[in-house]
Amino acid sequence: MAVAPPEKILKELADLWVNTGKQQEGEAAHGVLRACTMTLMVVTEDSEDPAGLGETIAALMPEHPARTIVIRLTGAGERSISQRVFAQCWMPFGQRRQICCEQVEIVCSDASLGDVPSIVLPLEVPDLPVVLWCRSPRLLEAPEFPALAAVARRIVVDSGAMSNASAALNRLAEETKRGRLLGDLAWTRLTRWRQALSQIFEDPRHAGRLAGSARITIGDGAVTTRAIYMAAWMAGALESAGVKAEARIASHAQHAFAELESGDFRARLERQDGHLAATVDGLSQCVLLTKPDDYLLMREELGILGRDPVFEKTLASAARFAYATE
Amino acid sequence: MPDQNPFQDPLRFERRLPPCAVVIFGANGDLAKRKLMPALYRMAYDRRLAPGFAIVGTSRTPLTDDQFRDRMKDAVRDFSEDTKLDEDLWKTFAAGLHYVSGDIGDAALYQRIGQKLGELDRDHQTGGNALFYLSTQPSQYAHAAQGIGAAGLQHGSGFRRLVVEKPFGHDLASARELSDRLHDVFAESDVYRIDHYLGILAFRFGNGIFEPLWNRRYINHVEITAAESIGVEGRGAYYQEAGALADMIQNHLLQVMATIAMEPSASFRSGSVRDEKSKLLRSMKPMTPDEIRVNSVAGQYGPSRIGGEDAAGFRQEPGVAPAATTDTYAAVTLFVENWRWAGVPFYVRTGKRLPKRVTEIGIHFNSAPLAMFDGELADGAPNLLIVRIQPEEGISLKFLSKQPGAGMKLRPVSMDFNYGSSFGERSPSAYETLLLDALLGDATLYTRQDMVEASWAVVEPIQNVWREMRFNFPNYAAGTWGPAEADAMLARRGHTWRKP
Repeated sequence: MAVAPPEKILKELADLWVNTGKQQEGEAAHGVLRACTMTLMVVTEDSEDPAGLGETIAALMPEHPARTIVIRLTGAGERSISQRVFAQCWMPFGQRRQICCEQVEIVCSDASLGDVPSIVLPLEVPDLPVVLWCRSPRLLEAPEFPALAAVARRIVVDSGAMSNASAALNRLAEETKRGRLLGDLAWTRLTRWRQALSQIFEDPRHAGRLAGSARITIGDGAVTTRAIYMAAWMAGALESAGVKAEARIASHAQHAFAELESGDFRARLERQDGHLAATVDGLSQCVLLTKPDDYLLMREELGILGRDPVFEKTLASAARFAYATE
Repeated sequence: MPDQNPFQDPLRFERRLPPCAVVIFGANGDLAKRKLMPALYRMAYDRRLAPGFAIVGTSRTPLTDDQFRDRMKDAVRDFSEDTKLDEDLWKTFAAGLHYVSGDIGDAALYQRIGQKLGELDRDHQTGGNALFYLSTQPSQYAHAAQGIGAAGLQHGSGFRRLVVEKPFGHDLASARELSDRLHDVFAESDVYRIDHYLGILAFRFGNGIFEPLWNRRYINHVEITAAESIGVEGRGAYYQEAGALADMIQNHLLQVMATIAMEPSASFRSGSVRDEKSKLLRSMKPMTPDEIRVNSVAGQYGPSRIGGEDAAGFRQEPGVAPAATTDTYAAVTLFVENWRWAGVPFYVRTGKRLPKRVTEIGIHFNSAPLAMFDGELADGAPNLLIVRIQPEEGISLKFLSKQPGAGMKLRPVSMDFNYGSSFGERSPSAYETLLLDALLGDATLYTRQDMVEASWAVVEPIQNVWREMRFNFPNYAAGTWGPAEADAMLARRGHTWRKP
């Protein structure tokens, strides 16, 4: 297959709008509204179900309309690269008019991955941020990663999909030291948990009961990046309030939980059949806790285009914590 | 530990709600069932309520806690438009629901409420915070506030706030008197008078491109419409006393107008925004009785058939006197006397039994100064900016575009932005937003005493003139856009009402 010249893709993108507009002409005279707030690059394995990813991207578009560039990696093999261009449209205003976003799909072998940055660069939407969503964990280790990452303002990975939690956290910490803005879906999965814990401390009387030291226990099925993040975040927050905390991970827990003990104060969060129970001094409150899918996670991440100071601080201490407990 | 919560992550967490007990007066009434309880349940559904959150319902009807919980469960099931009832979540939510029965005029009721607040603070850890919500007849606001004061409930170990529904008084003197009686108990900063949320603030002041156009030089006129498709729906007795002018224009629509027309405030802090709104309301041009007669229209709906069904006229509604002269429709032309708006008419209308439920602001820009293009639309379709508040909050900009093909034919096109579809999530109901703000102590979207008084200063002279006029009611059929006189009022200046 031939290498796709960026000009050809840009021409196809322009034609796409003309054709979409023409289709609309026949049906209604309202035309097509084009919406774009960013360029979203998604790197994924070709073996991944394209329909599932397509649905996730389509669901994201109403809130984060973007020119999406999906790069599908076919694996080892000869140099090969191909592309196609299409539109994602939806009809939000009582069927009056479609809103459409562009999607470019590039399918390439590992050997051609080095050609991708030069194709992608001219396809960025001017003046708008570029977000790189690495769904394929091996991209992080590919020699072409720095060139692709350099195009993006922010990179979103999922350390939960990486095999070794400690190595994953260290790798990500390295990237942030290089100045890259990172997001990690393993961290995003903790937002509801973290918020539930934070709610407890909205009552200053609870905060006032914390002694000089505290014990944190995180329960998960294994030593995951998620569990390490939770422990590191809790310890970091307590430390900033002058409480020295000791954290440990119970790696064979039946239900995920997070527990904080300090003096006579005890708070516990625990997953219970689709709910998250927050218990303080025996008084329990239950909130809904649906399993966040890729759409919900990315929706949150795409809402953050600048620095994420709490995550960055936690990542640094999580990497140290993982190293120390190894 | 410092005062600030060290576990906060403002980038990702929603606004923090403190623990609190919400005391609802009139908890067995329509508003509590239709609006307040669904809004509070939705806040629980969205995980916004603090663990130490409780609700104390109070009304005259004797009920046990469990009976109250059952009624509120039915209310949430029936009136939550887009939130399903989750049984597990309801159990947690219902555990915080309590009920105290009694008469608003009975001092013993407040003793029992005080006792309940103490228990809740101990058992639910509400932090000593309490929000009193008056969802009763307006005539009982002062009694409730005084009862709270006599029992000393306005003081506690946490915050104590009072939320008052509209309408606030029935004229300037009664609004002042009510304010005085509330101030005997609560400081002005702890009184929250309901108004409704407007995304217009973000639109106007978050975008620099509109400000240069936001004045008499570029804006020709402004229309503000709050239309309801329903009639008085069992509130006939109350509505008969109030009328559209007092019920909607005096509070809600003048606040909308103030938000549209106010000067930029120095910050988004409550005091700053409300200062500017208040200034604008005080800049409204006072009208003489003769001016009022030509710049205002009162209407009342008569019987009709809508969608193949008979629709009763206002006078046929239950609880309404057969010869009632209440205005169910009001339209007023208002002017602002300042450099920004001098000479720009603001057309404000509201009514019941209009063709659809819609609240929106139409900002009509001046036509292009020179008609360069031939054709019927060349200069007949000036730019129009629509800010929709309900049912779908959003913004549309209408402009002319060249039709494809040879020649220079123009056609109007509209660029739409819709909060619901563009942000992929539901907009919180007005009551959710207001309750959140009251719990957080943010009064930006609530009306301050001086704003209430400035609004009455505009509306009261109109009321006085209308009282002396004889109207040929009913003057519009249910299901239409109001009386013909309202069209004539705009036609005098060469304008027409939009049909939203």
